[in-house]
Amino acid sequence: MSWSVVARKDFEDALRSRMLWGIIGLFAVLMAVSALVPDLLDVADPVAGYGIAADLAETLVPVTALVAAYLAIAGERESGSIKILLGAPHSRLDVTIGKLVGRAGVVVVGIVAGFLVAGVVTLVVYGELAPSEFVSVTLLTAALGVAFVGIAVGISAATATRSRAMALAIGLFFVFALLWDLVPLGITYLRTGSLPTPGATVPAWQMLIQHLNPSVAFGQLVDAALGGGPPGGAGGPGGGTGGGGGAAALTGQVSGPVPFYLEDWFMFVILGAWTVVPVALGYLRFRDADL
Amino acid sequence: MGVIETEGLTKRFGDVRAVEELDLTVEAGEVFGFLGPNGAGKSTTIDMLLDFVRPTAGTARVLGYDAQESPTEIHQRVGILPEGYGLYDRLSGRKHVEFMVDSKDASDDPGRILELVGLDGEDAERPVGGYSKGMAQRLVLGMALVGDPDLLILDEPSTGLDPNGAREVREIVRELADDGTTVFFSSHVLGQVEAVCDRVGIMQNGRLIAVDTIDGLRDSTGTGSSIELAVDSVPEGIETLVIEGVSSLTARDGTIRATCLEPEAKLAVIDRVRAEGATVRDIATSESSLEDLFTAYTTERGAESEEEVRA
Repeated sequence: MSWSVVARKDFEDALRSRMLWGIIGLFAVLMAVSALVPDLLDVADPVAGYGIAADLAETLVPVTALVAAYLAIAGERESGSIKILLGAPHSRLDVTIGKLVGRAGVVVVGIVAGFLVAGVVTLVVYGELAPSEFVSVTLLTAALGVAFVGIAVGISAATATRSRAMALAIGLFFVFALLWDLVPLGITYLRTGSLPTPGATVPAWQMLIQHLNPSVAFGQLVDAALGGGPPGGAGGPGGGTGGGGGAAALTGQVSGPVPFYLEDWFMFVILGAWTVVPVALGYLRFRDADL
Repeated sequence: MGVIETEGLTKRFGDVRAVEELDLTVEAGEVFGFLGPNGAGKSTTIDMLLDFVRPTAGTARVLGYDAQESPTEIHQRVGILPEGYGLYDRLSGRKHVEFMVDSKDASDDPGRILELVGLDGEDAERPVGGYSKGMAQRLVLGMALVGDPDLLILDEPSTGLDPNGAREVREIVRELADDGTTVFFSSHVLGQVEAVCDRVGIMQNGRLIAVDTIDGLRDSTGTGSSIELAVDSVPEGIETLVIEGVSSLTARDGTIRATCLEPEAKLAVIDRVRAEGATVRDIATSESSLEDLFTAYTTERGAESEEEVRA
């Protein structure tokens, strides 16, 4: 279990990072604030608070996870500590897996800590917790975090320097957070020669492309868990958390029946793929690299 | 079977030939000094032995394992002090050693290892971000000692150490060698190597230009030992004298200096100088340092290869 030694050291090292604690603290504060929003709007519904928290997490978690993990391997190559790490009897595969597990552990701990703070606030303000929704949203957010750690570790394994890893991480963040919303617009335009009209249906495959964004997949899962979109939920055009209750809400949005790859369970497959595939590709580059 | 065996080991980075056709064998139990100026290809060679860098051609075997196929088996039994390493600034020295103990599944006591390399209890508990270069070097040497390795590979181990620290490193190397550990270490500081090595190899421009014992190198380069005579007056034409076993003879400011290929030649020099009518006032002799050997080798070879280029 060589990777577990790497993961444990990596976890211990990351826990000593002040920057990481700063990010976790900020995350906790923002989660707690979003739990308060329904109360401020005189809506005594903790579940609505979780919806807002999830909406916020959809953007916040990718940033947090990318920052926490983009230097996992590239940073060690730049500093030279990779020679200490690989000088010990760990294969490059052990190192890659260990880094994924270690950084995923850090991000999950941070997310759970943030939600626990939000949970306490919820309990104090609303007098109830809605425990099953609370646990679901916490776990789904953790899964989103792990998916972005996978992306970040993949980037980190594929690059030799801090600056390149950072450029790729920032680039991908913008792709997922901003550009992805333009993809359905572009596809519709190419398909029909005009921009989407409200209420028009789109082919299921176009909807799938939209849902390949881990944040969008996460949004559908949260909607399914909370049984409806949050009030005032600001999803992207036609997608994200703005819909209804998970896959059910897609009926009427896609032309024809909702295929399996838009079902809620398939969103877990998408998140799982983002956790594993970038790491695997990054590993292949790292395996063949001169350090 | 050699502990380190390379055959035709070659590494090119684009057009740069870092290591060319290296054939090298290091036997079990010896202390092998790997010499050469900076940029000669020493670190690249070591990086290939440790699978940090992949050869363009040729093979390297360490402890019987192919360096590229079985790096983890090699690293399990090798202690490494790499060149250009970094540490985990937020972790303590003790954590670093513990990590290596866990990684090798060894039974060493981290405290004892740290003591051995001269890091006291207080330093051991501090994050290594605050360590001096010398302390970091001691720590990594300590990490290399974890798990009682069969082979120690030390790339420029004296970097950042004061003379006292460098001496301590030599003592540790000597003790390990006495216990049967094979030690392979590179240096461009020749005094380091001279004191502890059984054999040395000299790298230049990616090629291994000599492998021998230090005595053997002295013999083959002809820069054996020298003698200096302080005389009342320098006899006419002394520099043109031919004395058996003397490779060069110079005179300046009342001092005659001769470089001798064999010890007996020193007496012959004294006899001839006196026979020429000079009174010898003082005598000083010195063994040539490895520095002289090294300079002789690298400049001679450098000149040769320049001629090759011209031809």
